[in-house]
Amino acid sequence: MTNNSGRPDATGSSPTDADAPLDPAAMYALLQNQQRSVETQMGAFVPYITLAWGLTWLIGFGALWLIDGLQPTFSLPLAVAVPIFIATILISGGFSAWLGIRSGRGMRGNTASAFTGTVYGITWSIGATALAVFGGALRYQGMTVELANFYYPSAYVLFAGIMYIIAAAIWHAVPSLVAGCWLVIIAVVAPFFGYPGHYLFLALAGGLSFLALSAFGAVQQRRVREAANGGNRG
Amino acid sequence: MDELDPVIHAQARLRIMAALSTLELDGSISFPRLQELLDMTAGNLSTHLRKLEDASYVDINKTHKGRTPITYLGLSKKGRRAFEDYMDTLRTVLGEQP
Repeated sequence: MTNNSGRPDATGSSPTDADAPLDPAAMYALLQNQQRSVETQMGAFVPYITLAWGLTWLIGFGALWLIDGLQPTFSLPLAVAVPIFIATILISGGFSAWLGIRSGRGMRGNTASAFTGTVYGITWSIGATALAVFGGALRYQGMTVELANFYYPSAYVLFAGIMYIIAAAIWHAVPSLVAGCWLVIIAVVAPFFGYPGHYLFLALAGGLSFLALSAFGAVQQRRVREAANGGNRG
Repeated sequence: MDELDPVIHAQARLRIMAALSTLELDGSISFPRLQELLDMTAGNLSTHLRKLEDASYVDINKTHKGRTPITYLGLSKKGRRAFEDYMDTLRTVLGEQP
């Protein structure tokens, strides 16, 4: 259709149909629907990301719970459960990054937003590394394996929750604020369930919440798309 | 004040301006991505963009990614102001507080 230069080609249709203005109320509705439509299309990837993380929480923490959770009837070997946990996180992380990059294709932000995005992205890596080193230091100072079983999941879930809240503050995303607050709560509550119940609690409280968030986001996007389809073709 | 800007007051150009207004300040979007978001033909989009460019409402920046030419589009300061004025006028016409 286009040589990417932004100029029409031979197949470009006549603009005359779309030239005519509607009455002011219809024009105002068109304006608002168009803005919502663009924002929805830009955020179309979010339900897929929350779906992936919902499954990751269910499968990943579920695998850790299965090490001892159903003893003596069944036990998932540690050598199987831990790789499952790591693999699900890596797959969801990679999937999220790929979708995020794809959704931003063809977009150029200003310098300030590029800085914000870069710092936010790097903060995930800094925080994840710092928590691992901090955990190692605590182990070095005598933290038992039993306590480490509580430290690592709660520390990372707490950190993820705070990062979600920061994302909500930067990008004005209320669902991210809700998810972040929920993660902070379940992170600090989880140890009260004891081992291995805290893994099951995290799997269900985290996993099901992300799945609910994904379903909510998908329904909301469909609603906006339907509203925007009221005469937006041109 | 109650006269609606004729450059914006056309369905296709209003849709383009509304879409570009969702970008952050000084942000821009490539021509193919804008076309995809608006679901408009390249010819139609180009024609209306030219009218907006003639009114200095959009900034058009041509660059290259490797050997591929890319055109980036964004609202100019004048365009953003004109769009806000258009919305205020529209709300006034509709009896809402601008």
